[in-house]
Amino acid sequence: MSQVSILGSGNVGANTAFFIAETGIEDVILYDIQEGLATGKTLDLMEAAPIRKYRNRLSGATDLGEIAGSQVVVLAAGRVRKPGMKREDLLQENSRLVDELAPEVARLAPEAVVIVATEPVDPITRRFARRSGFPRNRVLGVGGCLDATRLRFAIARELGVSTENVSALVIGRHSDSMLVLPRYCSVSGVPLTQLLPAERIAALARETAGAGDLIVQMAQHSSAYYAPSAAVADLVDAVHMDLGRVLCVSLLLEGEYGLRDVALSLPAVIGREGVRRVFLPHLSAEEQAVLEHSARELAALAASSGDSEGRGGRGGAA
Amino acid sequence: MSRASPKVAVIGAGNVGATAVYYVAEKDLADIVMVDVIEGLPQSKALDFLHAAPLRGYSVRIVGSTDFAAIAGADVVVLTAGVPRKPGMDRMDLLKVNVNIAKGAAQAIARYAPEAVVVVVTNPLDVICMVVLRESGFALKKVVGQAGVLDATRFRYFIAEELKVWPGDVMAMVLGGHGDEMVPLRGYTSVGGVPITELLEPEAIERLIERTRQGGGEIVKYLKTGSAYYAPGASAAKMVEAVIKDEKRLLAASAYLRGEYGHKDLFLGVPVLLGRGGAERVVELALTPEEKQALDRSAAAVREGLRMLDTFYRPGGEG
Repeated sequence: MSQVSILGSGNVGANTAFFIAETGIEDVILYDIQEGLATGKTLDLMEAAPIRKYRNRLSGATDLGEIAGSQVVVLAAGRVRKPGMKREDLLQENSRLVDELAPEVARLAPEAVVIVATEPVDPITRRFARRSGFPRNRVLGVGGCLDATRLRFAIARELGVSTENVSALVIGRHSDSMLVLPRYCSVSGVPLTQLLPAERIAALARETAGAGDLIVQMAQHSSAYYAPSAAVADLVDAVHMDLGRVLCVSLLLEGEYGLRDVALSLPAVIGREGVRRVFLPHLSAEEQAVLEHSARELAALAASSGDSEGRGGRGGAA
Repeated sequence: MSRASPKVAVIGAGNVGATAVYYVAEKDLADIVMVDVIEGLPQSKALDFLHAAPLRGYSVRIVGSTDFAAIAGADVVVLTAGVPRKPGMDRMDLLKVNVNIAKGAAQAIARYAPEAVVVVVTNPLDVICMVVLRESGFALKKVVGQAGVLDATRFRYFIAEELKVWPGDVMAMVLGGHGDEMVPLRGYTSVGGVPITELLEPEAIERLIERTRQGGGEIVKYLKTGSAYYAPGASAAKMVEAVIKDEKRLLAASAYLRGEYGHKDLFLGVPVLLGRGGAERVVELALTPEEKQALDRSAAAVREGLRMLDTFYRPGGEG
């Protein structure tokens, strides 16, 4: 049976189930190690079903065995940031979680496409791919597609147009060094570079890079979860319905832009098998340098978290 | 300032308030303002919602603010602000805190959104409705409490699960208050038009009713550190929709009674026609003697709450 399992019933996990209930048709198993949490949240959701006319079944699980045979597994477990924390501060603890869960997912749902929402998303995506032994097309990190929805919102607000008409491309690392590609951003096909001066675009790019931090800072007790969950639900749908959607996801690079053994976001065609194909936008020397810098930082981070079997960096010349 | 779309204000940016906002957004029902006293909280949630807009496709405006003035011109105000009962807090302590919150909110609503219909979610519901009515000076039918919609959706889901049917095809009517004061009407509860009394044994119905009574508690028991918000949020949003679209929807809600069902001068969960004017009409259904008795007990509990209120509360003055 085709089914979606979500590991972790915190805000991102539960709201992903919520978004899937609102628009999707997938049956969902929400898993959490904490007894009762996943069951409570899915029961609450199902109690809204008569009003919201849900067509899917949502249920909670504390036994990981229930994810067996899942077509899609969402990794939404782990700690989230508190004010003042960087995403990387979560790496040690959340890596341990991946080391536990990845082999189990590989055993229970060997054909699954895995969507990683746990932060820091790029290193966690890489680690999950390594620890599960899954091919890279089946481990997708929620990176660029989340950054892109935030940028689309900012562009739409700036121009006073509907967000629906705005498309945006953000690649690279899900951090301050994310790479906004303005000439690949457009409003109903018209390149953004023709609609806004460079300095306004740069300001919107900065706003997008700081958007996650801003919410952590304002909310005090949580990080963002509505937009992240919406991004995950989009990916789930793309896989489950075999839509061939073009969305930016973090994935293990195998020579793209001369980089390997590091996960960064690139635009990809998403369908039943996960990533079907990767698009490679043309980069300026400056943009290429940003990607390489991110790759070096991530390689250093991997080494520091006891995960340095790879070399990282360009062409292995770390 | 010109504004084509309707406007909903949600006071209280906790989980129930935020989830109600989300449901309103997802249906593109109205522009939304979230107000909370905690600086940063309503703003952060509004921004997170807006970041999701390109993916979810809603186009309503969403604003978070700590200033009540932001609710200006709202067509509907949903009052979710209030504290839940904490360990060591008795009913009276809770009442005092939430009455005070409701007082300030109601005065602000009267000032900034004098045309609004107020949907009260804050507990103790029927008493808070009375405070909002007195403080706002609104017409009786403009203040309505969210009661039976939540109990009914839970009851509907439990019936659907029992009969293995689609939850959307189950209809139910639940009067009175939550918990022990809940009055489910078996004769008005049906599946695709067939009364459940023809589909389920009395004991099975009784079991599902009991589960519904404990519905909120069941979720708290699972979550341990939190309470339900998806179904409560959906229930509030349903009422907002009925008002905004002037649906004249027949549903159970806490409404001010002037003799209907033999009670007056209090708020009680009864069937109403909910539309642009608020609880436009209280609908009097035929009740069995048992149901009438149960409703009377519910009314007695509300009166007890109002007596507690009267020991410390006087309308007007600082909220």
